[in-house]
Amino acid sequence: MISEIAFSAIRISTPLIFAALGGLLTFQAGILNIALDGFMIVAAFASIGVAFATESLLLGVLAGVASSMVLAALLALFNLRFRAHIFIAGIAVTFMAYGLTALLLKGVLNEEGVFSSDRIPTFAPIDIPVIRDIPVIGALISGHTLLVYIAYLCVPVVAWCLYRTRWGLRVRVVGEAEDAAAAAGVNVERLKFETMLLSGLFCGLAGAYLSLGYVSLFAKQMTNERGLIALAAIFFAKGNPYWTAAVALLFGTATALSIRLPQLTGLAPQLLQLIPYVVTVLSLIIVGIRNTRARHRHGVWRFEI
Amino acid sequence: MSTEAIAPPRPGPPLRALLRPVVGPLVAIVIATLVGAALVAALGQNPIEVYSTLIEGGIVGWPNLSVALQMTTPLIFTGLAVAVSFHAGLWNIGAEGQMLVGALAAGIVGYAVPLPPVLHVPACLIAAAFGGLLWASVPALLRVYLNVNELVICLMMNPIALLATGFVATHALKAPGPTNKLPDILDSAVLPNFSLFSQLNAGIFIALACCVAVAIVNAMTVRGFEWRIMGLSPRFAYYGGVNVRRNAVAVMLISGAIAGLGGAEQVLGVYKAFYDNFSPGYGFDGIAVAMLANSNPIGVLFAAFLFGALSAGSGVLQMMTGVSKYLVQVLQFIIVLVLAAQFSFAWLFGRKPAKPSARVSVARSVEERTGTEKVG
Amino acid sequence: MTGAGPERVALCNIAKSFGELVAVDDASMSIRRGEVHALVGENGAGKTTLMNILYGLLSRTSGDILLDGTPVAFKGPAEAIRAGIGMVHQHFKLAPSFTVAENIILGSEPLSRLGQLDRLEADRRTRALSQRFGFDLDPEAIVGTLPIGLRQRVEILKALYREAEILILDEPTSVLTPQETRELFATMRSLAANGRSIVFITHKLKEVLAVSDRISVMRHGRIIATTGNSGVSAEQLARLMVGRPVLMRVVKTRAHPAGAAALKVENLTVIGDRGETAVADLSLAVRPGEIVGLAGVQGNGQDELVQCIAGLRRPLSGRIEICGTAVAGREPLDCRAAGLAYIPADRGRVGLSRASRVWENMTLGHQAEFARGPFLAARSARARSAELIRRFDVRGANVDTPAASLSGGNQQKVQLARELTRAAAIILAEQPSQGVDIGAIEAIHRILVEMRDAGRAVFVISADLDEIFALSDRILVIFRGRIVADLTAEETDFEEIGRFMGGIEGPSAGLGRATASSNLDAGDRVY
Repeated sequence: MISEIAFSAIRISTPLIFAALGGLLTFQAGILNIALDGFMIVAAFASIGVAFATESLLLGVLAGVASSMVLAALLALFNLRFRAHIFIAGIAVTFMAYGLTALLLKGVLNEEGVFSSDRIPTFAPIDIPVIRDIPVIGALISGHTLLVYIAYLCVPVVAWCLYRTRWGLRVRVVGEAEDAAAAAGVNVERLKFETMLLSGLFCGLAGAYLSLGYVSLFAKQMTNERGLIALAAIFFAKGNPYWTAAVALLFGTATALSIRLPQLTGLAPQLLQLIPYVVTVLSLIIVGIRNTRARHRHGVWRFEI
Repeated sequence: MSTEAIAPPRPGPPLRALLRPVVGPLVAIVIATLVGAALVAALGQNPIEVYSTLIEGGIVGWPNLSVALQMTTPLIFTGLAVAVSFHAGLWNIGAEGQMLVGALAAGIVGYAVPLPPVLHVPACLIAAAFGGLLWASVPALLRVYLNVNELVICLMMNPIALLATGFVATHALKAPGPTNKLPDILDSAVLPNFSLFSQLNAGIFIALACCVAVAIVNAMTVRGFEWRIMGLSPRFAYYGGVNVRRNAVAVMLISGAIAGLGGAEQVLGVYKAFYDNFSPGYGFDGIAVAMLANSNPIGVLFAAFLFGALSAGSGVLQMMTGVSKYLVQVLQFIIVLVLAAQFSFAWLFGRKPAKPSARVSVARSVEERTGTEKVG
Repeated sequence: MTGAGPERVALCNIAKSFGELVAVDDASMSIRRGEVHALVGENGAGKTTLMNILYGLLSRTSGDILLDGTPVAFKGPAEAIRAGIGMVHQHFKLAPSFTVAENIILGSEPLSRLGQLDRLEADRRTRALSQRFGFDLDPEAIVGTLPIGLRQRVEILKALYREAEILILDEPTSVLTPQETRELFATMRSLAANGRSIVFITHKLKEVLAVSDRISVMRHGRIIATTGNSGVSAEQLARLMVGRPVLMRVVKTRAHPAGAAALKVENLTVIGDRGETAVADLSLAVRPGEIVGLAGVQGNGQDELVQCIAGLRRPLSGRIEICGTAVAGREPLDCRAAGLAYIPADRGRVGLSRASRVWENMTLGHQAEFARGPFLAARSARARSAELIRRFDVRGANVDTPAASLSGGNQQKVQLARELTRAAAIILAEQPSQGVDIGAIEAIHRILVEMRDAGRAVFVISADLDEIFALSDRILVIFRGRIVADLTAEETDFEEIGRFMGGIEGPSAGLGRATASSNLDAGDRVY
């Protein structure tokens, strides 16, 4: 029972981890990207549409990633070039994506709410030979599909990029002190654009996993605010990839529990689903108190709107 | 001082001044229409046919019009809620959550507190306003006293509201039966319906009254004056002795209360009970309404009607042609995206766009920032 | 001090104007190899603008720059850096939560295989560079935890890492303690001895004499003299810097200060944004019926002092009394209620709402007069504004004109009209003629004198000595957060004030701003 929940927690956390990796790259570059859900939903749609048409998983995933990156480029264009406020533009892009996918669901696949088909290929579970036989852990780690492993392997890769490469150093400096980066000859706008595109890439994988890996169907608004939960994880972990992934896993576990626990105990699922959001609000309050204490000593403009 | 050399007061250019607030929204609407047409054409439909069905289904004939007005009503509430906050330079994007909590409060008072009809509706409305206000107080107080960005808190408060009200409707106070809802409200709490063709109800007059009230406050009172200054230049307001903290809290609370009233209208007038997850995103549509209305309370009426009529028309569209009603949502948020980028209009006309500062500021105050670069 | 190397840079007849404002007007200077070249002048003389042009940050309106005899035109700092020019700005451009090495290598990072950042190499290079120039910097240290003097060294090392041959230091000593200043000077000398050229922008004449080989004096956008260090005295430099006839003087009678002080500041200590002690145990008083001018080079604590009086900043300790009411640490609301009228220097963001109409700008702070219950009597407020537009001669405006479309002088008159019509006992006027055309300056000065004659206390803060002399009955000089002189206007002259401002004379000339590490910079993002 517990290992079953743990197994599904790993599965459920996969799109969260992808989305969180995408979100934390822009976060590190100083952009709070709230359009993760929008990126994911177009990717989920494009993936399943192309996989259905071509019966190829690879093409499906590629189409998902490409569509998500196009949307990311659009958001970056409006935010960086046209100076649209990232939150408003992000909300607009997200709801546009929800609407567009629902529009195309009807217009192209001729379905109202949910699309599914036997023609859609599925990912095969991968049994890892040696690990499979380890007691307890083996059953948890082995037997997932390819994208699950990719998600968890991306965490150290992203961490390496952020903390060990020139690009990562520049991204982090841009996020903290844009003028310092600009003065050192770093092309700030290009770097931000790159992080936004990568955000699209990871959300594309998240979306593709949602519609092709996690389930084999597309439903409108199927991301179910996973982007927001990912964002909450990023906030809570202050953008560190390992911690963000850990928190995302924790939030995913809460979701897994919220599916399984009520069957046993009669507990309302909503109470567990609340956890990510409530935790984020509480952590923001703590940070707020700390910063306010620091400001209080000698701050000019003691109130900023 | 020489008193002779007074320049005669320049008469402001009346036509341009009149057109200025309308040009941006019009451009956005035109762009959205064109993009939408391209989309429709790509789906193999005739754009002109689709748009005419949309407009016809939205406003032609009382049956259609009454649906349009029914759809308009919640958008007025949420649009006005968002507009009130934008006007004062605050970003209340939590109208969705505030509306849900308000609706829940109205739903509970509506079924659980038997009162005579004269008192019951007001009691429900007050409960709803208070619910929305309570929900808005979290971002408001955190914003003002801990300097926590209200946008992020609002963003998180929305799903919290959805899940919390969902918990109440599916567990705590669930009505018997398969549907996730509270028990039906008592007849004494029902807002009278006056259309056979839709759920259009007396709530629309409450919405109108709210718009007029906000318009009066904004244009004629001391508070409205202070909020306007805060929205355009918070530092100036603070320097000039405006109690910025208290005003900011007040604005957020009022904004939340209006959103809460929107929830009451849905429960008392449309659904006659609180249903889990009833809102298709009215709170977010409110952002679109407020952006299109440029935060003007009277403009909110027009913007809400535009989107309300479009979504009424979209129902007809879906029935008559094969085009999904979500076309309207796409159009709506293309408009928001274009309006969010409005400073680039200045850039189109040859001025450099302002660089957004790190801290949050309202689009309207961008003009303020463009002219203030210090010289070497 | 030799500095007889060949000429590296020649600036020939450089001019730069921003709109109608001429910031640099036909300035020429040369920079030699191996010299420390001081560029001195008052605020607004154009020193920083001239050097920003050399560094490629600003384009020039006319003139030529020759680098080793070849004309150059840098499109941005990146090109200037490549050509071997480095600049350390007054406000450091550092990322506080990163290490010294990371800050230094940013933009030209050493890489190992696989495109990985070579941290060891970065640390090694930083350490080597640091040792070579006698800097005591730990490459692993987090910049945000370093005292300001060390942060400045990081900035200098950044330029040296990029192999800057010509190093421009903009007011490098303004944030340093005397100890740190001495160490900086040693560094500058050793860099010059290594064959680099240093341009040292400053107002502090003692420092100029202590460290430079040659000195160029800038005034009103021109280099008016370049001399060697030997045989020139601080007094001579002061005269060159400020020496000129008083341009304008408002006709005014003797002051008759009477009664108890309207503004009293006692033992005020204030921490600045960067965690430094900006105002140190400062006391002053302004009485009704007098104009007190506060002279001083910008950045000596004036801003922080004014912000504390206006309620915009919380002091660390000390008392501020406005008409007997203690207001230190209170809100602007309370300060105004106690009897303060404040004309801020930052019109664009503080003193006006540029997007609001003139009548709204004139009515803020006067809401009580026009409140009819909860309603605002907009008609009377507009009528009053129309009357004020006439009275204060605000040109090109009616009550509905947005403030942004007015000229600087007329914006200033809008501020004055609003503030001076308040029943306020003390008028705090900060740089009242900054960015204002000559004609309006006179009108503004006359208004302030009228206010004095009407029995108000007027406190003028200005970096412009002309203005201080034109207005003041009494002149205070602030240097490094302390009042170093309290002089009667008639009994002093430009040179004496200039000496106090430059820290040549005065009781606490040697005392500097103590630096405290600031935990504000430590880099927590606020969302």
